[in-house]
Amino acid sequence: MLVDNEQILEALWETIYMTGVAFLFSVIIGFILGLLLVVTRKGHLLENEPVSKVLNAIINIFRSVPFIILMVAIIPLTRIIVGTSIGTAAAIVPLVFYAGPYIARLIENSLLEVDKGVIEAAQAMGASPFQIVFRFLIPEALSSLVLALTIAIVGLIGASAMAGAIGGGGLGDLAITYGYQRFDTLVMVVTVAILVVLVQGVQSGGNLLSRRVRRR
Amino acid sequence: MIQFEGVTKTYQSGKQEIHALNGIDLTVETGEIFGVIGFSGAGKSSLIRTVNLLERPSSGHVRIDGKDISTLSAKEIRKTRKDIGMIFQHFNLLNSKTVFHNVAMPLILANTPKNKIKEQVKELLDFVGLSDQATKYPDQLSGGQKQRIGIARALATNPSVLLCDEATSALDPQTTQAILELLRRINREYNITILLITHEMGVIREICDKVAVLEAGKVIEQGTVFEVFTNPQQPTTQRFVRSVMNDELPESLLKQIQNPSRKNSIYRIQFTGTSVGQPLMSRISRKYQLDLNVLFGNITELQGAPYGNLIVEFTGPAEEIKKALADIREGNVHVEEVLNYAS
Repeated sequence: MLVDNEQILEALWETIYMTGVAFLFSVIIGFILGLLLVVTRKGHLLENEPVSKVLNAIINIFRSVPFIILMVAIIPLTRIIVGTSIGTAAAIVPLVFYAGPYIARLIENSLLEVDKGVIEAAQAMGASPFQIVFRFLIPEALSSLVLALTIAIVGLIGASAMAGAIGGGGLGDLAITYGYQRFDTLVMVVTVAILVVLVQGVQSGGNLLSRRVRRR
Repeated sequence: MIQFEGVTKTYQSGKQEIHALNGIDLTVETGEIFGVIGFSGAGKSSLIRTVNLLERPSSGHVRIDGKDISTLSAKEIRKTRKDIGMIFQHFNLLNSKTVFHNVAMPLILANTPKNKIKEQVKELLDFVGLSDQATKYPDQLSGGQKQRIGIARALATNPSVLLCDEATSALDPQTTQAILELLRRINREYNITILLITHEMGVIREICDKVAVLEAGKVIEQGTVFEVFTNPQQPTTQRFVRSVMNDELPESLLKQIQNPSRKNSIYRIQFTGTSVGQPLMSRISRKYQLDLNVLFGNITELQGAPYGNLIVEFTGPAEEIKKALADIREGNVHVEEVLNYAS
């Protein structure tokens, strides 16, 4: 094997770091966008057609750009935000731009699953839009939201593999540079195995948490 | 008191305009149970939702205790809604929360202190008979229990009006009875005005004081339940009444008696209130020497008063039958001819 354990551990840490930080920011962005997508819909709490249309268009644009292209395309922006266009920190910016709109759609889906009748009952009780969102909509969707965010983390882990293209490091980068370009099959197998375990762990954790929050 | 004045509701569905409500004028008096019945698509659901502005009327006014609610600000609307409880066909409970939390919800929204919430929820659960289910979740309960939770939740803010949106339509007949009894208790014990919509005439017969029949967004008939059930005018109303009070002659019987050679006359006799208690048939039979044969009939209770409907075959001299009928009519009993071959 062309790499030692330390390198693998470092790559693992880079993957977790990139995914974790990117996830944090994309959840914040995705949550706000997803919530807005839902409440500005026709017939919903704060129906607003222009806002809804613009949001949908922006999200669709970001969602349609392949990650590898997005990463290169926003390099100037990345430079403004983190001061450099290479390295792990630089990889986080495109990851957020990629996962934010994605999470917005996932959250939109989860929130739309909440029975309209529950919202109607909330309105009939005299709840304000803010109360409806935080006392009814989100608690009712929580279990489904957790599963949606689990999907997002798995997606982010996958996307972070491409961060190597701008020197972001991580397990994906290791697999490409050593496993693929230098024909070290063992590195390839080991990194993929670690990724499999990582994804399994995230998914199991997500499932467990989702069951836990179904009833509170 | 809830007053509807020329209330209309028009939806835009693609290029088509749908008139859900077509000028509704109705008055629901304080403390009564008012039922609105109609087939699906008649506009019932839109009508009941204009009362708490879940739907805004396209034109016209809805007044609650004289106050036009369509002029209120968003904040005032929320305040008004707290005085109007609502229960739903599919209960609309929070599945992620316990029974306790569901009932407490309106109080939590109003920032009621925790110890007061506890006290009040306990009282409400006692009232609906579910105090032992407080820690359960809605999906562990039966339909009837869920509706009781819905009712407890609706009563949490001490409303003066309760709106029931097909509240028993998803329940079996026995559970329906129990829920209707609970609604009647709420009406009597707390003097809460109840406006309910339903497509089941049985619900109207069971608990309503007044009824309005809705068709194509219009009130086609209204009155006290007694009036409407004993003397329905519109074909739709007659269909609804017939669905719970079968007063038509069975086909087979009709064929058998449609025979001029029998020299008989058949009349429908409707007894109401006190006239039910009198031995009318035997008295008439003796007095006029007529043979009376009850072909079909039923006696039911309407709003606590008995109501009888008999189809009777009179056999005897036409002159005597005439006299007998005049006699019957004097006793506050409604008589109408069904068939006549005697004269």
